[in-house]
Amino acid sequence: MAIAQSLLAMAEEEIARQNCTRLEMARVEYGALSGVAPESLHFAFEVLTRGTPHESARLELIRLPLRLRCPFCGAVFGGEGQDALLQPCPGCGEQFGHVVEQGKELLLSRLEAR
Amino acid sequence: MEIPVVRNILEANEKMAAHVRRQLSGRNILTLNLISSPGAGKTSLLERTLRDLAGEFRMAVIEGDLQTDNDARRVAATGAQAVQINTDGGCHLDSNMILTALDSLKLDGLDILFIENVGNLVCPVEFDCGEDAKVALLSVTEGDDKPEKYPLLFNLARALVLNKVDLLPHVDFDMARARSFAAKLNKDLSVFEVSCRDGAGLEAWYAWLRKMREAKRASSADA
Repeated sequence: MAIAQSLLAMAEEEIARQNCTRLEMARVEYGALSGVAPESLHFAFEVLTRGTPHESARLELIRLPLRLRCPFCGAVFGGEGQDALLQPCPGCGEQFGHVVEQGKELLLSRLEAR
Repeated sequence: MEIPVVRNILEANEKMAAHVRRQLSGRNILTLNLISSPGAGKTSLLERTLRDLAGEFRMAVIEGDLQTDNDARRVAATGAQAVQINTDGGCHLDSNMILTALDSLKLDGLDILFIENVGNLVCPVEFDCGEDAKVALLSVTEGDDKPEKYPLLFNLARALVLNKVDLLPHVDFDMARARSFAAKLNKDLSVFEVSCRDGAGLEAWYAWLRKMREAKRASSADA
């Protein structure tokens, strides 16, 4: 709910800057580790836009899979279906200290409005 | 019309957190954000810490719960300053709540501020409260695979307190397994096995607090 509130406030600010009043679409990109539950975010967005000019706006959610980098051999790994933060490096087998290159994001990346 | 934007959705919270951090660092206050599931022993750890270190540090606590001021009263009974935030259903504290709570605290001369977050291993990790470090708590009555299930907390925390070790003989918690998961997620994590009930292991936790307090003082002196 807090995420949906921030997202809507940000969207309203951006569309007002373009002299628009009605939000039609908002796209959010979220990392696999970001803690976003898509169903909950859709639900919160729907509840918050009901009875407002943005009532018919669509929320588009794009999930960014986890990407890790091994600090020892430099291998970058992860990807769709491999969202465990605990996984040995496929390059050298090292289990410790992987750097999260992608997976913590929570971004508003595109809006459509009238 | 299409409006291309790239904005961090949590930026409002992060800006506010930076503001809180500046305020607290300006006063040279070490701020620790305690995060665990409900019932892991955050309040018990604070009660012990506040009593045992009362002669050494001036400490205050911001308590976050959905309802009641039970925890703030427990903590205030130790003589420390405490302020309760009721989130009315909200599952985490955010930096705006912390900023408001700071108004109710006497910050002058304070050495350590503890933020006891709402019991939850997910959302509190996402919302920066302006702290210097996050401290994770896990009790041995929970699953030893919690670090694997909720990796982000253990990845970001600077310390992990494993509480209720006096119950180890009665539960199936595999300490080596939990510690190994946590170490894989975060090689710099300091881990303390404690019992807030009988006091076992707390000295190591206090030593870490002293070290953090000293590091904060040194960094403020540099700045």
